[in-house]
Amino acid sequence: MSALTGPVLEVQSLTKRFSRSVTAVSGLSFTVQPGRVTGFLGPNGSGKTTTLRCLLGLVRPSAGRALVEGSAYATLADPVRTVGAALEASSFHPGRSGRNHLRVVCAAAGLPDTRADEVLETVGLSDAARRRVVEYSLGMRQRLALATALLGEPGALVLDEPANGLDPEGIAWLRGFLRERAAQGGTVLVSSHVLSEVQQTVDDVVIIRGGTLVHAGPLSGLGDRGARLVLRSPDPQRLVSALTQDAPGVEVTRRDDGALLVSGLSAEEAGRRAFAAGCELHELSTEPDALERVFLELTGGAS
Amino acid sequence: MKRVLASEWRKVTTTKLAWVLVLVAMVYSVAQVGTLVLLASGLLPEVPGQEALLRDPAYVTTLLAQTGTAATFVLLLGIIAMTGEFRHMTITSTFLATPRRGRVLVGKMLLFCAIGVGVAVLTLVTVLVTTVIALLPFDHAPVTADAVVSVLVGAAIGLALYAVLGVSLGSVITNQVAAIVVALLWVLLIEPLLGVAFPDVARWLPGGALNAAMDVGLRADVTGTLTTAEPLPSWAGMVVLLGYAVVLAAVGSRTTLRRDIT
Repeated sequence: MSALTGPVLEVQSLTKRFSRSVTAVSGLSFTVQPGRVTGFLGPNGSGKTTTLRCLLGLVRPSAGRALVEGSAYATLADPVRTVGAALEASSFHPGRSGRNHLRVVCAAAGLPDTRADEVLETVGLSDAARRRVVEYSLGMRQRLALATALLGEPGALVLDEPANGLDPEGIAWLRGFLRERAAQGGTVLVSSHVLSEVQQTVDDVVIIRGGTLVHAGPLSGLGDRGARLVLRSPDPQRLVSALTQDAPGVEVTRRDDGALLVSGLSAEEAGRRAFAAGCELHELSTEPDALERVFLELTGGAS
Repeated sequence: MKRVLASEWRKVTTTKLAWVLVLVAMVYSVAQVGTLVLLASGLLPEVPGQEALLRDPAYVTTLLAQTGTAATFVLLLGIIAMTGEFRHMTITSTFLATPRRGRVLVGKMLLFCAIGVGVAVLTLVTVLVTTVIALLPFDHAPVTADAVVSVLVGAAIGLALYAVLGVSLGSVITNQVAAIVVALLWVLLIEPLLGVAFPDVARWLPGGALNAAMDVGLRADVTGTLTTAEPLPSWAGMVVLLGYAVVLAAVGSRTTLRRDIT
């Protein structure tokens, strides 16, 4: 398999107002690097789709720009070979077969028709190639949308909620596929409203809420922001004093089941302190769903 | 532009509707010829025969000119091609592959120009065969090559322009149902009424201009809108039709086609 050279995707101070009262995106800036999978996260209605549509020249920004390797999408010499986009699983003519849908795009992009059969094979739709799209399940339409994105062997993939409607097997396949694209040097931007869906796939995250940026950076950094330790001891009182002594940044809360949730300490430091105090420990672990909790806090979904 | 044309042609040929509409257009023209011959034949018990008509070369030409009845169908074909993109949201993948939106509209218009010519040829062949067969049992004026050629030229130009008009109308009214209703109301009701009320104005309207455009060297009222007013010369009819198409396409590309695709 040949190496890909993915373009850099740049969103610069992007603002989109649909009407006086509806501002979908407001002053949003972030950069998507090649060779990495970037998750574009936010609750439904936070402006993800609008941002992606601005990037693809379908929506005109009210202010700011969204660029592919420094150029607006509409000015790309060969858009289908540069950026492959899968926006929604419903924009197919229901009476046209999946294969013919792809061949329509092949013709428009000057690609050989054999590409249609190749990408159908890639996404596992060969058996349904000649069936009309109206007979497709949601998962099959997602696969067809992805196949469309792959037609021009583009350096960048821009996928809007690609996991919607895919079965677990399909999601696992998609995960491996996107990782491989990034490993080859491709740019991959994939949106989702559920962090756990992309948690195992993405290197970087861009999180937005209400059309504005709340966090951009490596996924690992997001966990560092608030990962807590879970400690369990038969003598919690003693453990609390051992952990908090001379440590002003440490916060301890007691969970309903008696375990202590500790922030501001590394697992090593917490273990050392408990050992020094001679405090018996039954558990010392990192909070398993920390990312999800941080994500929900950032996006305002936490209760 | 070659790519856009190839892609647009595929769109037309990979759904059933276009084939169905062309087939219906041909069946309709056959029915028209059959009815006109039958009415003149005297075979209908309630209708006095006018067999003399069948011996009139002008009437035979009128039979051939029923080719022009396909105009309404190619108009619908053009409307459906344009508005279908918005109805099924295929406009998204169309604009992703061809982000210069004006090219898509121009490509569709050029293609439908050619499709109009193609439908004219198909329909004329059908009408010609029907006419020859239907006239067989009767004493009739000959079907001349001159008449066939002038109907072919007229219908090819008229249908090409009407198909383009359909595409450009669809670029202004992107709601498919609304565009079809507007077009059919116009063709079947509004323009015929205007034709009766204001014949001087009606010849400048699309149907009147279509009649004029198709009227290359013959007088054949195929859309039923021809009234007492003298129609425009055929070149003027063509220019007027093309003008409507260009104005609508200009409006469409400045308004609808500039809108956000969400």
